[in-house]
Amino acid sequence: MTRRRVAITGVGMVTPVGNNAPDTWGSLRAGRSGLGVIQNFDASGFSARIGAEVKGFKPNGLVGDRKLLKLASRAHGFALAAAEEAFADAGLRPEPHTGHRWGCSVGAGMMGVAFEELQNLHRHCAEDGEFSPAALVDSRFPADPIAFCRSQSNTGLALLTRHFSIRGYATCVHTACASGGQALGTALKVLRRGAADFMLAGGYDSMLNPIGVGAFCLLGALSTDNDAPERASRPFDATRNGFVLGEGAGFLVLEDWEAAHRRGARIYAELAGDGNSLSSYRITDSHPSGDGPIQAMQQALADAGLAPEEVDYVNAHGTSTVMNDRSECSALRVVMGRHLEHVAVSSTKSCMGHLIAAAGAVEAGVCALAIRDGIAPVNANFLHPDPDCDVDLVKGKSRAMPIRVALSNSFGFGGSNSCLAFRGSAES
Amino acid sequence: MTSSERVCITGVGAVCGAGGTVDAIWDAVIAGRSVIGPITRWETSDWPARRAAEVANMDSRTLVEDRKLHKLISRTDLFGLYAADAAIKQSGLAVYRETLAPDAVALFNDRCGVFAGCGGGNYQNNYDFFPLLTKAEGNLETFGRELQTSVNPMWLLRNLPNNVLCHIGIRHNFKGTNACITQQCLAGALAVSEAAASIRAGEADRAVAVGHDTPLEPETVLHYHRLGLMSEDTLRPFDATRSGTIFGEGAAAVVLEKTAQARTRDVKILGEFLGSGCVTEATGIVEVRPDGDGLARAIRLALQDAGLSANAVGFIVAHGNGTRASDASEASAIYEVFGPNPPPVTAFKWAFGHLIAASGPLDMVLALRALKCGTVPGVGTFRRADPDLPPLPLSAFPQKPSSNIALVLSRGFAAMNLALLVGMDED
Repeated sequence: MTRRRVAITGVGMVTPVGNNAPDTWGSLRAGRSGLGVIQNFDASGFSARIGAEVKGFKPNGLVGDRKLLKLASRAHGFALAAAEEAFADAGLRPEPHTGHRWGCSVGAGMMGVAFEELQNLHRHCAEDGEFSPAALVDSRFPADPIAFCRSQSNTGLALLTRHFSIRGYATCVHTACASGGQALGTALKVLRRGAADFMLAGGYDSMLNPIGVGAFCLLGALSTDNDAPERASRPFDATRNGFVLGEGAGFLVLEDWEAAHRRGARIYAELAGDGNSLSSYRITDSHPSGDGPIQAMQQALADAGLAPEEVDYVNAHGTSTVMNDRSECSALRVVMGRHLEHVAVSSTKSCMGHLIAAAGAVEAGVCALAIRDGIAPVNANFLHPDPDCDVDLVKGKSRAMPIRVALSNSFGFGGSNSCLAFRGSAES
Repeated sequence: MTSSERVCITGVGAVCGAGGTVDAIWDAVIAGRSVIGPITRWETSDWPARRAAEVANMDSRTLVEDRKLHKLISRTDLFGLYAADAAIKQSGLAVYRETLAPDAVALFNDRCGVFAGCGGGNYQNNYDFFPLLTKAEGNLETFGRELQTSVNPMWLLRNLPNNVLCHIGIRHNFKGTNACITQQCLAGALAVSEAAASIRAGEADRAVAVGHDTPLEPETVLHYHRLGLMSEDTLRPFDATRSGTIFGEGAAAVVLEKTAQARTRDVKILGEFLGSGCVTEATGIVEVRPDGDGLARAIRLALQDAGLSANAVGFIVAHGNGTRASDASEASAIYEVFGPNPPPVTAFKWAFGHLIAASGPLDMVLALRALKCGTVPGVGTFRRADPDLPPLPLSAFPQKPSSNIALVLSRGFAAMNLALLVGMDED
């Protein structure tokens, strides 16, 4: 039995550099930064006061179902809008007679409760700093079932499947920054094993609130270049000093390759392989040797039936932290060998920051667009070479070049590593 | 059938209010003993819902010896690691690895998958910010400035949903394909079925799958109560007088591996994974369809995946969470697939509560034990069949399975339904 091939036929995005995929892609090609001083809340007391926020986002016009949006957090709103764009782009949606053959796989962020709700709870039940269950049961708080529903770990999945009538396989994963990549990898596997014929797959996240930003500040993981936000995310630069927190969502419509051809769909690329490993080293880092990411990339290539020599572009995890970028380059050196000098590498986090659970999903969409247009997007803000990061970075401006095969890396806290392999439709 | 690679179970582990071993939990269930009692974790005398199945007498040291870890992870993670450690130990994989040549060890590790299902996003994690909120008096500038002096710098890492995945990896040096599934009640069962799928597809040679959860916290209990999902006395699945669910806490884990490979080493095969089906009804967050459409479809997909017909099933472990709507629609789905004469039906949550993300693997581990013993435990709290439901062969007393194949059902928020089929060879 030959293995089923999977086509990407729809792309949707809500990101700090554009509220849809064409705008996002336009910004990334031009190297336009979405980074700035945080506006969502007063971050003036935090060590990192900069972020990559989604701007001017109004889900009402994009989603339409007001009752549903009451149940949606900020990140769920991004997800619904990006998914809507992906379906429209694919020209295909679940219908009453096909809904049971559609699946949904999402990488969801870890934050369930909005900061305003936490403040509200604090006011009612923990004024002195200590939570009081007696105060909780006495007060009318939390009498709001909508707040409870909004805070469940799989609420986003529930809203997506309901809104788009997806009635088949559904899953929701979280492996920190690898979540989006792993959600797409899961979708690929589900399609291959025939548990669904179509998948909506992607990720969404927003940690740009006092708890999320605070949590990363406490770990010292964020860049504190508060006076120069646009230059703060500079993956692989010798002076890099942490990542810049972003927010957003990315979704793809995936379907059987032959079926997509038969219906005359426009195919961006083939989602050709998935690699997935655990570093099992430290909770926050991979080994400097690249152990962990190496296996993920090798598996993705093997899974796609590709040799390293066929890879033209790598959309790196490239967080702009000292440890990640070094370890990722070590891994690239091991996997690509002498071919490494012929591989264009860039991290689009340089422009749009780190979208955490959404990062891998948005960056998968970026790879699909890069293949379609033959453009490797720029790794912005690179000025100072780091001998530990000796790879062919796309410096200065985006590079027009044929891209047969692209890889997208996503590595998470907790040690999960995801690598996805994409093949251009001409190569397939 | 989607794959020819057979997948077996070589290790199991569990902890819940009924005990810290599968044996102890089985003993409670088969004796008809429910461990549901008053909540002691906080003062509940004024509470409308005040019962649960707490894990008592299991401090952090008992669960995981490594004290350094206690500061890095939360209690749900300790449960998960405890169950996974037990399953891995029983599987003998670590001992087997020691017999391998050094280069074979690296490959072995890369071919060990890890799949965790967790409840995700607990409320209490956020309470660590309350002293800071008090200090800040509504001023976010102060909140930011005083952050370092008030909150544990490791707060984020302590609360990562994927901690169990991470630490199983580090503790056992498993480095293969992995997933952390945050699918509420379905998380653990989906971890098992994804682990099995990865072995079938050749992405891993073996994998540990674990579900863990601690839903027992004030906000969750009160929310469930206000949604009308929480019982005030006890959990009586499918009973005419059922009034809701009751929380438990804990974890359950299994080690799955290629059957052909397990047979080459000296390990007892505890059962076989036969198939699974997973679907949503797309009705939203808490709503379920009265006709049980999603669950019926999930069961049919699992049977198709296993290459079996409905009459091959020897007994059913129902989700049976004790709520009016879920049990009614579950009975409808069973009737829809099996007709008027289904095999014996049981459920386990009446004994140790609803473990949410951990409930699926715990039910599966007990189903394997039931297959081994040739006894389907009764539902200890069952008194009177609900005349409004299709009749089910469900009893307060043990029944005989009609074959060596068990169907285990899990349901959860997002209108999710998952059916797992496990079996046991007669040898």
